[in-house]
Amino acid sequence: MSLRKTIEVVTKLAEQGAIQRYAIAGAVAALNYIEPTLTEDLDILVSVAHFERRQSGLILLTPIEKALANMGYTERSDVGYMIEGWPVQFLPVASALDEEALEKATELDVDLAGNPPLKARCLRAEHIVAIAVQLGRLKDLARVQAFLDQDVLDLIAVEDILERHALLEAWRSFCTKAGIENPLAAS
Amino acid sequence: MKNRHSQYPDISDILAHKAAGRRQRAALSFAEKLVILDALKERVGPIVQAREFRRRQKLKSMSPRG
Repeated sequence: MSLRKTIEVVTKLAEQGAIQRYAIAGAVAALNYIEPTLTEDLDILVSVAHFERRQSGLILLTPIEKALANMGYTERSDVGYMIEGWPVQFLPVASALDEEALEKATELDVDLAGNPPLKARCLRAEHIVAIAVQLGRLKDLARVQAFLDQDVLDLIAVEDILERHALLEAWRSFCTKAGIENPLAAS
Repeated sequence: MKNRHSQYPDISDILAHKAAGRRQRAALSFAEKLVILDALKERVGPIVQAREFRRRQKLKSMSPRG
């Protein structure tokens, strides 16, 4: 079981074309910027352009399933496809914010010691925070707090994203819940 | 009954130490953090399994057939 290997399989899916644009999202993406916190799965944000879409709006992830099966990964759990001991959730882009986050994702050095070095795409800190504000669950807000505490955000960029995606009210609500002064007001 | 003016210890050094630890862990490489996450997942594995077991038992007991 190794998350590094799990990410390597995701990069192979991209190489094979089973997924097109992708980025590590959620808690594992946050890991790139803040201290490690426990998570049970790996979230991968994916573009939906080449996936079959049913009339009901349901998106079929068949190409991913097929490619994973070809690599020997056929097990599924409640939370996703089991890859190297980690459940992986492929999350199709579901909002303009997701789309922008995916577009602006950065290339991350996962393991430079590997041969060849392993690189993967990962969401930027400011988009992780904006998505967390949009989701608004307690665990998401705790993540925003961790990003602020560890001073890893470009606050001007955060404000710009929140404003463009009509999330400033949700941000102010987060500040009230967290009992903090709005740090964007000072930026 | 406790006096409203009880003296409590100053724990600011402990909090500062914890904050320094968080900063240190945040500064690790992504690869190092992945290893930490693997270890954390393994450590809580039995707890997660027990939770899943309880959830399944609950669902089973709620189903009409018992």
